[in-house]
Amino acid sequence: MGTARIVFDRWHDRYAERLGGVRSSAVRDLFAAASRADVISLSGGMPEVSRVPHDEVAKAAREAVHHEGAAALQYGSSNGRLQIRSLIRDLMAEIGVRLSADDVVVTAGAQQALDLFAKTMLDPGDVVITEGPTYLGALQAFSAYQPDIHCIPMDGDGMRMDLLEAELERLGPRGAKFIYTIPNFQNPAGVTMSPERRRRLLELAREYDILVVEDDPYGRLRFEGGHMKPLRSLDDEVVYLGTFSKIFAPGLRLGWITAPKPVLAKVLLVKQAADLCGSNFAQVTAERYFQGTRWRRVLVELTRTYAERRDAMIAALEEHFPPEATWTKPEGGFFVWVELPPYVDCASMLAEAVEHGVTFVPGDGFFPDGRGKNCMRLAFCYADPEAIDEGIKRLAEVVEDRLELYRAFAAAGALPTGEEGAA
Amino acid sequence: MSKKIAVLMGGRSLEREVSLASGRRVSDALTAAGYRVLPLDVTAELVGTLRSERPDAAYIALHGKYGEDGTIQELLEFLGVPYTGPGVVASALAWDKSVAKHVFRERSIPTPAWITLTADAFKEMGAATALDLIPDAVGGFPVAVKPARQGSALGLRRVDSAEDLADALLMALSYDTAALVEKWIEGTELAVSVLGDGDSLIVLPPVEIVPTRGLYDFSARMDAGDVGFFSPARITPEATREAMRVAREVHEALGCRDVSRTDLVLDEDGRAFVLECNTSPGMTETSLLPMAAEAADMSFQDVVSTLVESALARAESGT
Repeated sequence: MGTARIVFDRWHDRYAERLGGVRSSAVRDLFAAASRADVISLSGGMPEVSRVPHDEVAKAAREAVHHEGAAALQYGSSNGRLQIRSLIRDLMAEIGVRLSADDVVVTAGAQQALDLFAKTMLDPGDVVITEGPTYLGALQAFSAYQPDIHCIPMDGDGMRMDLLEAELERLGPRGAKFIYTIPNFQNPAGVTMSPERRRRLLELAREYDILVVEDDPYGRLRFEGGHMKPLRSLDDEVVYLGTFSKIFAPGLRLGWITAPKPVLAKVLLVKQAADLCGSNFAQVTAERYFQGTRWRRVLVELTRTYAERRDAMIAALEEHFPPEATWTKPEGGFFVWVELPPYVDCASMLAEAVEHGVTFVPGDGFFPDGRGKNCMRLAFCYADPEAIDEGIKRLAEVVEDRLELYRAFAAAGALPTGEEGAA
Repeated sequence: MSKKIAVLMGGRSLEREVSLASGRRVSDALTAAGYRVLPLDVTAELVGTLRSERPDAAYIALHGKYGEDGTIQELLEFLGVPYTGPGVVASALAWDKSVAKHVFRERSIPTPAWITLTADAFKEMGAATALDLIPDAVGGFPVAVKPARQGSALGLRRVDSAEDLADALLMALSYDTAALVEKWIEGTELAVSVLGDGDSLIVLPPVEIVPTRGLYDFSARMDAGDVGFFSPARITPEATREAMRVAREVHEALGCRDVSRTDLVLDEDGRAFVLECNTSPGMTETSLLPMAAEAADMSFQDVVSTLVESALARAESGT
């Protein structure tokens, strides 16, 4: 039998002050409670790694040991093996970015790149501009260095450039350390920045002399519509973060960063202090996996799978969700962003959703300032179409219950005139 | 052998984090005072652990639902574990702000004019068609809109005009099934803590709360940087006496014992209006009761030891 006994952390008053901003664990506790098998997870952005051919990966790993064991088991260079950096150079060329293998530093996922870059650039109080909402992991990575994060609302074409301009005008030239954006199938909003906005963003960045950081984990997971040029292909000054997590597997922890040479040199110094070098074993395995063309067919299949799941989620939302809810229709990636009337606090619905057997991520986690309470992020990447339909149905019951009150106000003509949220 | 004290904290309430901070501080103080401390989270294992550990008393460091509404008190009575703080009835009365205000009114304790509306009144009875009557019913704007049962000011809003009223009501009703609309009293916000009961009753000096962002809401309460405190409050001796008199009346009217914290506003004419009474006030480094105790030259350890001693004394006298 369990116990209710609490064991205190003896070191609670010894931690660095900068960790003080770490959020309450209420949501994490709820997810722990949601590990039951009958709970459908629409919360995690986990790639469907079961579709990656395990025999191919086994072959690549075996070859890594047999043919390059001495290198694979040894420390490597801090920026990563030349072979994998050349592979990254080729992958980047396919999306229209020309660079040399020396312009790349290999990192432990793009997440490490976020941390290294933030560590390189940020002093406490420095301004960082992001989309609002933005990637939770970026907020976590940045927050450890105590910046002042300003977020710019989005619409269907991505970050609003009029609002960005107004913000930059307020801050003045070099008034922010960098502008962080996820232009393709944004996490969590699911929207893609239009080509006009991309050009405008770069113009504004040049005008105010501020670095742009382009995080592009989902760019190759496009379901429809034409390829959009990465910011980095339009401007060599852009810092670009890439990852193997979505085109291969997150378990290898392989990502990369490219940046203007002096910036990259600083990042490399920080990387050396962080972990000396990445995993050579993972790098050799990836190099082998990406030889030949099978990975391309796998990626096409994987993208088709995600597209089917996106379709299932949109269809389920249309069928089950109440008319007061609106949501984005992503052309790729992993996520749909749902917006409910402004008074709805989605975090307060999570416990009920877990009881109904479904999880989602409440929207306020994707803002640094408590906005987004009336929004939720739904991940369609990991559950199969039937589970997605059932999950949305369960979630709709919870939402419906909350909206009954809202309708009573609407029927009396007493609806609040509150402003609509972001995205 | 020293007495074993279970410190109850955490739980699933929205105020879990504050409660853990209170509980940790109380546990440290009781350990320093020589008690054997058993820190317990309020989980499905709570009753089992209490039965096997058989503590001599329980210190309730829970805030919000279940900890402050009579639920845990009723359970501890049933299990025969003496506990700190007000009993079942006082807790339940104080927890529902609407019920508490009715008690204040019956006892002629000044409290701002208010109305209470339940979610069912809106869903089933068309109460939303009567929003236009609300301002007159409470004496005009501005008003405070808040959930009837919720701690730490979660869901609290100040409303200055009719167009924001529906929004604030919907917000408050997302935290509870009933919402209060209360006349907003401009003035000095005070928190007055009371310890003990009957002959042992002590009223601590008022603490003044000055929010730097306009409203002493949940986020301000959790972050001391957003709010200024003055202890003792910057008010006249007469106003101090008046606030302390009212807090004492509230404590007695609700039938509190051991501890309570009354939040009130002092208007321009020096009249004290009671907003609410908390039966399990925060005990963290930035909480109001410990601040008041310090102003009265009582150490934190003295305060929590006294609370535990009265719980133990009740067990011995069988009351």
